[in-house]
Amino acid sequence: MFSRTRLLVGLQPRLVFAQQGSAVRSAVIARRLISSSTCSNAQHTHGHTPPLTSGIDQRTSHHPAPPKPQYDAQGNELDAYKDGPSALDKAVHLFFFTEIIRGMWVVLENFFRPPYTIMYPFEKGPLSPRFRGEHALRRYPTGEERCIACKLCEAICPAQAITIESEARLDGSRKTTKYDIDMTKCIYCGFCQEACPVDAIVETQNQEFSVETREELLYNKEKLLANGDRAEAEIAANLHSDHVYR
Amino acid sequence: MVSLLRTIRSVRRVGLREWWRQMQYIGDAKSGTYVGKDQFGNRYFENRNGEEEIPGRHRWVDFAQHDFNATQVPPEWHSWISHIRKEPPTNDSVMQNLSPPWQAPYVENLTGTRGAYKPYNTVVPKINAWEPSVKPRA
Repeated sequence: MFSRTRLLVGLQPRLVFAQQGSAVRSAVIARRLISSSTCSNAQHTHGHTPPLTSGIDQRTSHHPAPPKPQYDAQGNELDAYKDGPSALDKAVHLFFFTEIIRGMWVVLENFFRPPYTIMYPFEKGPLSPRFRGEHALRRYPTGEERCIACKLCEAICPAQAITIESEARLDGSRKTTKYDIDMTKCIYCGFCQEACPVDAIVETQNQEFSVETREELLYNKEKLLANGDRAEAEIAANLHSDHVYR
Repeated sequence: MVSLLRTIRSVRRVGLREWWRQMQYIGDAKSGTYVGKDQFGNRYFENRNGEEEIPGRHRWVDFAQHDFNATQVPPEWHSWISHIRKEPPTNDSVMQNLSPPWQAPYVENLTGTRGAYKPYNTVVPKINAWEPSVKPRA
């Protein structure tokens, strides 16, 4: 035992940890961590084990020994391959000739079929009415902007991409003076539109707002209102199609 | 590559001139019913025959501009071509009723041009630069 632990100098910390606990606990740990424990748990039987054989000769000799030639009574050599597959069968299986033909047939079939590729700017894949794309601030049908600067979207935004400052207008209503969304921070989770009590901030179905510079993604209030003014019909139609589920 | 029969069928339907235009832009011979045209002159087509068009390719747009761009589709037609709305906006009573009178004209994504959006502050800046004031000497 002592000689074995001395051999396992590299595993000293683990052995020390096992020795620190009580006897019962260390036994449990040793049993549970049987995979990570050292081989000191194994019961070695000295002198009774069969000698280890590697079998390296069988594994390294890829070419089995050729069959010894057999001779009949007259001394003529017998064909050892008479009962086995013919050379042509072997060649077919070797080169997977039929596989090639079948694979080329699939190619030929698809050559005469309409292609599956959606030609993107002309054809587009389906989108959900709940798709979360570019943000927009909406207005009431009278043209009054909806946002009341309650800052719920700013509070719930997990990426903290929204910045709001508010002021009272001359008629006493509270409106935002600053509504900035950093679209580079936004993770498009849709929490802002779910938190909004007046459906002011929405995520439109527009996903094609890629820009060339980073600054163009720092949206301010007027940009968001302009998005809403342009796409109001689409936004309202999507909300209408989903209103039974809300 | 496209199937030969499909190409021949589409060419016979749309004509050689339209087929040449399709090969220049879409790159595929397509034929279907004309659905409508938006305010920019983009034409929209549909072919709901499942044997002629793969589902997902059955609505397409023919852009009016040579320098075409996916954002040249206005939002009403965007929701049709993205398969969000079933009816095109010319027949969609819901979308027509929900279009407000103050709806702004649509502009495409102008990034990379002089009309691109530039961010600016909508409030008074809170940090002002130091303006040195020198008392007049006696």
